[in-house]
Amino acid sequence: MRKSEWSDEELIQLLKQMPKIEDNRHPRDIYQNIPQRKRKSIQWVFPSIAAIAALFLFFILVPKFMDGNQHSTDKAADRESAQTGEVKKEASQKSTADKREMTSVASEAERTAIYADEIGNGQVLTYWIPDEQAEFLVPVSNIVTETQGKTWVELFNEKASELKEPEWGLTDYYPLNASVNIDQQKNVVLVDVPYGHQYGQGSANERLFINSLKKDVASNSTIKQIELSTGGNTGIEFGNTGIEDQLTVSNDKNRAFFFYYPQGSEQPFIVPYDDTPYNDVQSAFGAMMGDPPKTNLQKSILPSFGIENVASEGKTLIISFKSNAALEDNQQTLLSLEAILLTAKDFGFDKVSVSNPPVSTIGPFDLTKAIDVPVAPNKRDF
Amino acid sequence: MDSVFDELYEKYHHDVFQFLFYMVRNREQAEDLVQEVYIRVFKSYDRFEGKSSEKTWLFSIARNVAIDYFRKQKGWKERILEKFDWSDNQVKDDYPIPEEIAVKREEIQWMYKCLQYCTVDQRAVIILRFIQDLSIAETAQALGWTESKVKTTQHRSLKVLKRQMETFYEKEGKTGEKVRVER
Repeated sequence: MRKSEWSDEELIQLLKQMPKIEDNRHPRDIYQNIPQRKRKSIQWVFPSIAAIAALFLFFILVPKFMDGNQHSTDKAADRESAQTGEVKKEASQKSTADKREMTSVASEAERTAIYADEIGNGQVLTYWIPDEQAEFLVPVSNIVTETQGKTWVELFNEKASELKEPEWGLTDYYPLNASVNIDQQKNVVLVDVPYGHQYGQGSANERLFINSLKKDVASNSTIKQIELSTGGNTGIEFGNTGIEDQLTVSNDKNRAFFFYYPQGSEQPFIVPYDDTPYNDVQSAFGAMMGDPPKTNLQKSILPSFGIENVASEGKTLIISFKSNAALEDNQQTLLSLEAILLTAKDFGFDKVSVSNPPVSTIGPFDLTKAIDVPVAPNKRDF
Repeated sequence: MDSVFDELYEKYHHDVFQFLFYMVRNREQAEDLVQEVYIRVFKSYDRFEGKSSEKTWLFSIARNVAIDYFRKQKGWKERILEKFDWSDNQVKDDYPIPEEIAVKREEIQWMYKCLQYCTVDQRAVIILRFIQDLSIAETAQALGWTESKVKTTQHRSLKVLKRQMETFYEKEGKTGEKVRVER
């Protein structure tokens, strides 16, 4: 039926004869394919959310790191184990050290510990105060000149309320929620806490309380025993160790002293690290020059100090410096020297002498003569 | 399976598929596009107001899917090149004639080939009106046009088909008969 001419009607008939076309797929297959295609449009959503979140984090973290460069006390920047982190830390320490050196040019370097020559008739009081993070205890001392015949415990209780812990960047810890007295006959310190006290709650609380009591007593007296009671009844209950009746005071020995810079503070506390005592002075000094054992502590002997050798002669510690030791008479050097003096004292030395002093004086100290070790660290007014 | 899908499949699947098949003249493409139709249907099923019948609603979606497909097929590169390329103006038909058509007689095969010379709108009208047997009113609803526009488009597309059919006849049907060309 070939035609050269087509009427509309014929064309329409032809169109109606066009074969029916059917989809041969099973309806189940068709249905299953639908959600898959749907998902396609959502694909970009998750990557973009992730990207936004990453940008967000980036902008939050970057200022933090920048900040960390300025304050060496910032833990975030300090605890980088990576090489770059170390370098950064080194740099930040140097920059703060430089800053301190700058300031010390104007002002005379001053010693920060208490020495025998300034005590006179006064009574030295030392309080062990937790740092801001309550990780370790910082000894803070002062001389009480007007003792009026009071015992050290009376003065200890009296002055406890005058401590300015927040101002120093430490945890507000004193006065203790406890009464502290002395039994003269038994030669023991009596500590009585009220019922409902906080000191037994949590291992950190408990550790701080027990350690601060032991160290307070050890620093301020020769008493070896502390008897504990709650509301007059024997024993204090601690969450972790159970009920304790008494504590034995042991004199800490062979500790190394490190710097602790509280947040925003230019002046460090010189703090003993007493988790592990050192075998000898050399290893303690070695630790003080190297990486500090705790995050918030910083090395107390700068590389420029250049100690060549240490030797002992009776109760005198003799230090010799390397020939290229670049010691300067400034506050930073003085602080390092005091850390050395305090450490020497902890190892039982009375004096420290320098065999080949690169400078004749550091602050008030005459390096050409033997220097007496301090009586107590970290003098602060209260 | 989804009850909505079941119902739509039962009633209209083959109609929609056939419509898309004749629109794009390729089975695989039609299979992909019918999938797309379902996606759009599910997205807007709750907004379906029942103003038009379900059938014309589905056809209108299918037509939009087909138009989008033609648009996408021409990337911006092709569109720009097209402007500079005057030599290659004939419509190309890359796809072979499908099996269902190939077994039919010659005129049907011609007609199938002629469809490619219509515009997309003309083709849609031809398919809906004559292959799917929709009324003028239904076609108007599915395309969103007035009935008179459907009529004129239908008229024009039949004219295109007529001319193309005659060209085919001239090319392939040279059996010595005299050809009278009607203008």
